[in-house]
Amino acid sequence: MSAPGRRAVAIAGLRGGYGESPVLHGVSLDVHDGEIFAILGKNGMGKTTLLKTVMGVLPARTGRVECLGEDVTGWPAYRITRLGVSYVPQEKSIFQDLSVEENLRLALRDRSRFAERLDVVAEWFPILKSRHRQRAGTLSGGEQKMLLIGRALLTRPRLVLVDEISEGLQPAMVTRLQDILAQERRAHGVTVVLVEQNVGFALALADRYAVLKMGTVVESGRAGAVGVRERVEQHLVL
Amino acid sequence: MLGAVLLASPLLLGDYAQQILAQAFFFAIAAVTVDLLWGYTGILTFGQSAFFGIGVYTVALALAYYVEGTLATVGAIALALGAAAAVGAAVGWLSFWDGASPIYVAIVTLALPVVFAQIILSGGAYTGSSSGLPIPAPALSLTGWYWISGGLLLSVALGAWVLVSSDAGRLLVAIRENEERCRYLGVRTSRVKIRLMAVCGAVAALAGAGYVLFSSVAAHSYGDFVFGTELVVWTALGGRGTLIGPVLGTVGVNYVSALLGGNLPFVWLLFVGFAFVLVVVYVPQGLVPALGTALSRATRAVGAALTPARLPAPAAGVHVVASPLGGRVRTDGASGREDATPVLELRRVGKRYGSLEVLDGVDLRASRGEVVGIVGPNGAGKTTLLRCIADGREPSSGEILINGRRTNRLPPQQCVALGVSRKFQTPNVFEALSVVDCLRVARSYRLATSPWRRSQTLELPEPAVHAVHVSGLQSVFDTPAGHLSHGAKQALELAMVLALEPTVLLLDEPTAGLTRDERAAVGSVLTALAQSHRLCILLIEHDLDFVREISTRLVVLHQGKILADGPLAEVADSELIRTIYVGGAAQ
Repeated sequence: MSAPGRRAVAIAGLRGGYGESPVLHGVSLDVHDGEIFAILGKNGMGKTTLLKTVMGVLPARTGRVECLGEDVTGWPAYRITRLGVSYVPQEKSIFQDLSVEENLRLALRDRSRFAERLDVVAEWFPILKSRHRQRAGTLSGGEQKMLLIGRALLTRPRLVLVDEISEGLQPAMVTRLQDILAQERRAHGVTVVLVEQNVGFALALADRYAVLKMGTVVESGRAGAVGVRERVEQHLVL
Repeated sequence: MLGAVLLASPLLLGDYAQQILAQAFFFAIAAVTVDLLWGYTGILTFGQSAFFGIGVYTVALALAYYVEGTLATVGAIALALGAAAAVGAAVGWLSFWDGASPIYVAIVTLALPVVFAQIILSGGAYTGSSSGLPIPAPALSLTGWYWISGGLLLSVALGAWVLVSSDAGRLLVAIRENEERCRYLGVRTSRVKIRLMAVCGAVAALAGAGYVLFSSVAAHSYGDFVFGTELVVWTALGGRGTLIGPVLGTVGVNYVSALLGGNLPFVWLLFVGFAFVLVVVYVPQGLVPALGTALSRATRAVGAALTPARLPAPAAGVHVVASPLGGRVRTDGASGREDATPVLELRRVGKRYGSLEVLDGVDLRASRGEVVGIVGPNGAGKTTLLRCIADGREPSSGEILINGRRTNRLPPQQCVALGVSRKFQTPNVFEALSVVDCLRVARSYRLATSPWRRSQTLELPEPAVHAVHVSGLQSVFDTPAGHLSHGAKQALELAMVLALEPTVLLLDEPTAGLTRDERAAVGSVLTALAQSHRLCILLIEHDLDFVREISTRLVVLHQGKILADGPLAEVADSELIRTIYVGGAAQ
């Protein structure tokens, strides 16, 4: 664990988007080490684009991205991953034709620790172990989501970026997920950046939040403060 | 001015150049067919040379042994077209029959030119084998051939342009982008592809027939696998998915290779090979589109300097028209009574993946005007249930009736005809098409698709129009669907399935990734659909509040079995829901 107060993510004046159409219009925000940070906002405001740009999946047009103390602007995604950053994309990006276990194995470069880590993940999501030989493509949508999260946390990252993690999960599982992330942070100091549609879930879990609107941060603050939920909801209307 | 240059071109070009260009024009016609198949429809084919060869040898054999004269030559060409179309349809059927895997087409089109060349080579003196078959050439000047080949290329390219800009052309791109979605929109994709294969085969044969009359010798190399691959390379170099690209690619490579090939025969081939690799690596879309982008960027920079305040173009003048067919409000349901006969009936439906039993003896009946919420833990079989209803080939046992007709073994496109439409769990749209074009493709199930006309309006049934307005999609009509946010894609897909005017609507988490307000809007659309349009809606949702708001009935699925099925009020507050779903541990 690194010293508290350091920034796990520092974004300054970030612009970017898909091809010719810009989505981010100068986003600046800082996420502290060991913090759970929620990025909220309506659809089409650039939340997913922001994560993809930080992760190096989309190019940054201008601006600067720092992850875990390194200037990663312009880095390819695999290099950022090797710093200890995991990304859980919204699209179910699992290897459909590989088994559940193969999907998990691929995430971990250090093979010797697989069994130990698998046990930890299987405690959260028992199906990942009980069905380890099943072809991942035949898992249900929610189960694939569990595999994605399990795969991301298996590597014990220092920073996780998660996009719409609660979507498509049964209510009981959403609650469990909340516990898992909180516990991982407590025990290992992992920093979590969440993009969420589920405001209640996000604010209950996060330390701080930011609201994106039209590709810029229009509001941010402590998630536990009085009246936050109402203020955020207001941004989501219209 | 371009016309003047073209008219004057034979005078400016020498005999040699005209000869090379005439040949290149014939090849370019075949390249255009490769482009239609590969660039637009996504069918990578190495077999277009075989159709070219069919044209070459049908005409050559006819003139060498059987007939002579202009009329007979025309007859021979017609025969060549017919033969090529028949072979094309057969190849298409082999590659795309229901249950063919995507790899079939590559293998079949690879085998076709190999088989064709072998037949020619083993034909002995009759086909001329490897030394070629000379034919009595029609007396035409070189300039005459230059005009004929150029004219033919121009008409084929124009015809192809009309096709790809038409409604049918849009459908081809939709098939390339997402064939599964097309099938679930009721498009008989196999039939479309088989027809295209037949037409492209005939056109390539026309080019071959013209070419053999021009060159007056038939050679097996015009029907073999190497030529088939060259056509693909030229298309890729010029830029697939544009018509001008393959034409310029073919003409350019052939012209330059004729100029340089004489002096540097081997180096030149090496050069083409390198160019191909470089293009594939650095400008995968091809040279012409890359140049086009560079040019438009330059002109835009100039244009921006001249007109600093350019307003964004309005949504291309698209009018949304509520279709008269779908706009009607069904009066038979106005009284609000539940129509007695079920529109959807499942009898002992089971589904297993290997040893894993996902659905086990599911019985379910649903009627018009019902909104049936399906809830259950992750992995309970909810999505599988919808998939079984929308695709008659899915269930391992039991039977499903839609509007009283069995879906037994029917592929999705035919289940659509029975009145089912399905929205997928993750948004499933045509990423490369604009929003309005996605909707038009969806609508093509109800409206005839013209191969030459492009509709200017968008005619949608009233529920789809409603969905478009509620979600604000009309403001992004011209945006490619791939650039939309997750929520907008969800809304788009909903509008697309509504455009089919289904009686049974299957929705798999339609509001996942939407904000609370957007959810409420979608909810109001769905409630209106069930009440005023008497649709039967099956809805998978995790958000119990949402389910509570819009469902009339609730079904609880757990480990492939229905645990509870009843009116909303009874099931939603039952202990069962609490234990297995809300509070209980998963699995």
